Amino acid sequence: INVCTQRSTRYVSAISAARGLHKSALDVAERPAPEETVTSSFGRFIQSVQPRHLSPTVLQRSKRMVLDSIGVGLLGSTTDVFELALQHCQHMYAPDDVSFVYGRQGMKLSPTLAAFVNGVAAHSMDFDDTWHPATHPSGAVLPALLAISDMLHNNSKPSGLDFLTAFNVGIEIQGRLMRFSNEAQNIPKRFHPPSVVGTLGSAAACARLLSLDRSQCSNALAIAASLAGAPMANAATQSKPLHIGNASRLGLEAALLASRGLEASPLVLDAVPGVAGFSAFYEDYAPHPISSLEEDEHSFLIETQDIAFKRFPAHLGMHWIADATAVVHKTLVGLKGGSISPNLVQDILLRVPLSKYINRPFPETEHQARHSFQFNACTALLDGEVTVQSFQPEALLRPELHALLSRVRLEHPHDNTANFNIMYGEVEVTLVSGDVLRGRCDTFYGHWRNPLSQESLQKKFRSNAGAVLSNERVERLIEAVEGLDHLDDCKPVLAQLQ
Amino acid sequence: MVLFSIPFNEITESFGAAVSCLSTSHLTDEVIRRSKRMILDTLGVGLLGTSTPVFNTVLQCSQQALENSKVWGRPGLSLPPQYAAFVNGVAVHSMDFDDTWHPATHPSGAVLPAVLALAETLPVKPSGLELLLAFNVGIEVQGRLLRFSKEAHNIPKRFHPPAVVGVMGSAAATAKLLGLPAAQSIAALAIACSSAGAPMANAATQTKPLHMGNAARGGLEATRLALLSLEGNTQILDLESGFGAFYPDYVPHPLAEVTPTSHYRWVLEDQNIAQKRFPAHLGMHWVADAAIEARAKFLDKCPNADLSQIKKITLRVPTSRYVDCPLPVSEHQARHSFQFNCCTALLDGEVTIETFSKSHMNRSALKEMLLKVQLENPQDNHSSFEKMYCEIAVETTQGEMFTARCNTFYGHWRKPLSHEDLVRKFRANASTVLSAEVVEGIIYTVDHLDTNQDCSMLWSYMHFNKHMMHRDECRSSQCNASLLNRSTFE
Repeated sequence: INVCTQRSTRYVSAISAARGLHKSALDVAERPAPEETVTSSFGRFIQSVQPRHLSPTVLQRSKRMVLDSIGVGLLGSTTDVFELALQHCQHMYAPDDVSFVYGRQGMKLSPTLAAFVNGVAAHSMDFDDTWHPATHPSGAVLPALLAISDMLHNNSKPSGLDFLTAFNVGIEIQGRLMRFSNEAQNIPKRFHPPSVVGTLGSAAACARLLSLDRSQCSNALAIAASLAGAPMANAATQSKPLHIGNASRLGLEAALLASRGLEASPLVLDAVPGVAGFSAFYEDYAPHPISSLEEDEHSFLIETQDIAFKRFPAHLGMHWIADATAVVHKTLVGLKGGSISPNLVQDILLRVPLSKYINRPFPETEHQARHSFQFNACTALLDGEVTVQSFQPEALLRPELHALLSRVRLEHPHDNTANFNIMYGEVEVTLVSGDVLRGRCDTFYGHWRNPLSQESLQKKFRSNAGAVLSNERVERLIEAVEGLDHLDDCKPVLAQLQ
Repeated sequence: MVLFSIPFNEITESFGAAVSCLSTSHLTDEVIRRSKRMILDTLGVGLLGTSTPVFNTVLQCSQQALENSKVWGRPGLSLPPQYAAFVNGVAVHSMDFDDTWHPATHPSGAVLPAVLALAETLPVKPSGLELLLAFNVGIEVQGRLLRFSKEAHNIPKRFHPPAVVGVMGSAAATAKLLGLPAAQSIAALAIACSSAGAPMANAATQTKPLHMGNAARGGLEATRLALLSLEGNTQILDLESGFGAFYPDYVPHPLAEVTPTSHYRWVLEDQNIAQKRFPAHLGMHWVADAAIEARAKFLDKCPNADLSQIKKITLRVPTSRYVDCPLPVSEHQARHSFQFNCCTALLDGEVTIETFSKSHMNRSALKEMLLKVQLENPQDNHSSFEKMYCEIAVETTQGEMFTARCNTFYGHWRKPLSHEDLVRKFRANASTVLSAEVVEGIIYTVDHLDTNQDCSMLWSYMHFNKHMMHRDECRSSQCNASLLNRSTFE
């Protein structure tokens, strides 16, 4: 059986095949409907969902996510870890170097490596979006989709709506998978969620953009499962960004392998006693099928559960404490005027949820600083805000910051659960004078309950993208993404990133 | 001034130190002997595996122009080292024919392809002994890590061990080959850990071989990233949230200190390895040996008996869901089916490479017999390759009963293959792809690996294929159709 010789340009011609609607409809009809398992329901969903299933809210929210993700990726292209990953990939070399690299005009890599480095860029500063249950969904999906889009022939680039559909499929799959476990609702302790659900999300999105049939879609998910899972211990280290880069790249690889006919477990998402599939990554796993699109109207999760965009590049938990402390800073400035001197402060008490990997009294690297309640509180107390610059070496080494750090204590109230939907941040600053100033934040600005305005989001994008692109390109990108659902093809977006 | 204490990384630090301090002087004769056997066997199964569809799939997927490492069995074709390690690793595990250890994993397939691919790219080629050292570091790290968990001692249920410890072994071995200092070895392990873990559900599918390929690739990539100064968590092996994430009961211990003059106690020294006689899950080997014995007794008593006289077959085996497959459809399922291997052994008196071909799988006599098999899971039959057994009871229509029991199959670490039989297996595998001359060349080279200053002919030999012209010669004639050479098993 010459299984392989037929497949040489399968994934490129798959798009053109899909455009010839008659043929693809025929393919579906000829194949008997598989017995419905959780896994096959996912495969079916990925293959059959259409642009018309996207509601206005979903369109709007996902465009915001796309914009933000590109911005943080462009900014992230200025980091050391990005440079390192890029060198690595260039050494590996790629002859089908057709896909763009963030912040490197004219440079191209193979689609999978481009997805890798661009994914690393997106998460390099922990500046990308966060969802509930906890993961960073967009950074795992977008780089792979952009890489594929670059790869496709000029005449067969996906329309803006096709692109958005694939993007939302990738996000949706992640959301669905996380709801199979109660453990996933809390701040993670064992596996870093982007490396678990992100990989499958990327596989799903790519399978969709490549118009794979439903059995190939299921296989893409199953192959991706064997590429998923990275432990939490590498969070707060330089390796963490690779979790997103690898999620994007490996999901794309899984989809490409599936398009070439590679098969894997047809029950990977089902709970099979004695043989772990995707359930391997959770202590408590209870999966449900996605209901058929013919029977019910599909509701995307992003519709009812919005996403958080960060205002500064640090772990989400830092945003509560920064906002709470900013209040205190303001009061202090009002009281004493001018800049804050550590000598005024006797004690700083933080009431935060219990989570070991974001409790760092004296962070030594920028990665640790982004995962430190103490650091972010002291920065906000000194400066009134936390920004991109707060994590630069000069800022990390400030003596006044260190002075404040040594005065911080943490408390973990019982009612402060380690969960991004219900946690809060409270700060109590005791001055030498005896005054006690308090601040509390239940919902920081940028959280899904209090989302960034469109102006604020665009401001963040301009600041990020402007670090590496000309103003003209920045504005064109904003415009192109804003009108994405009306574009005949997504070239206007790609053109600004080349 | 701010004072803070850095926690002492006992375990991870000890691993980094060991990986960088172990030297050729620590290799014992026994370790050298055993590891050469492992290398020979692995090369053979890898060559055989280059003719499978899954290998061709991943090869197509990985093809890139800048190539410095050779693809086994594909003359003229090279890939960047990670991808060469990937495809060659897939080849090794493509038919489940590679070695198995205790606690359970397939150690060599994750390490050898990575080490060879990397060695090829080095400006100064390592000596055979240096190659053996790197290989053994990769095996050793896997063995040590497996001993950090009791659960690891049983047939796995959650994560497929090569994907967990294999990638760590590959990282350690390649770090050793590059002579990385301890800190960078630790970084390689930490980075590799983020690529570890694939669920068991993909065993018995076409994707399983990719677990091995990805382990080899991921470890090599991790080392290259570490070389470029990427860092991960320096306590990756100490933490529950690190490597411990893959086990519910994780109790790590530091490795013993290694000095230039100290004696090092390798795990391979105390715990030998199993090498398979036919390409199927290890558990199948107990079943086959028991069934062959029962068959012999049956035919002994009734020399002209017709095997269709068998009424019922009872197999007493350990509980293991993913190898309980009454009616396998694909070759991958058949390699993971107690029932299938039992019936084949009863019908044919042996299980071989051909057993898993479509024609053999579709025989009506076999299919009929499959319906007569019943599995039992006795309490005392532990799901562990160290403790399990297989008992078979064959009942005939005549009312006679033939039983047999296998505690230790031939090829198990307690009853290792003789040198002759190991070499015979290698010859049978390798000669599907290589000419007799080249086959003997590899046997000779591996046998003399520890005394050879230049082992580069090893990967050169792996680069031949007697059915194919060199890729450059191929361009002038239309010979792409021969890329898939399945004549041996179709």
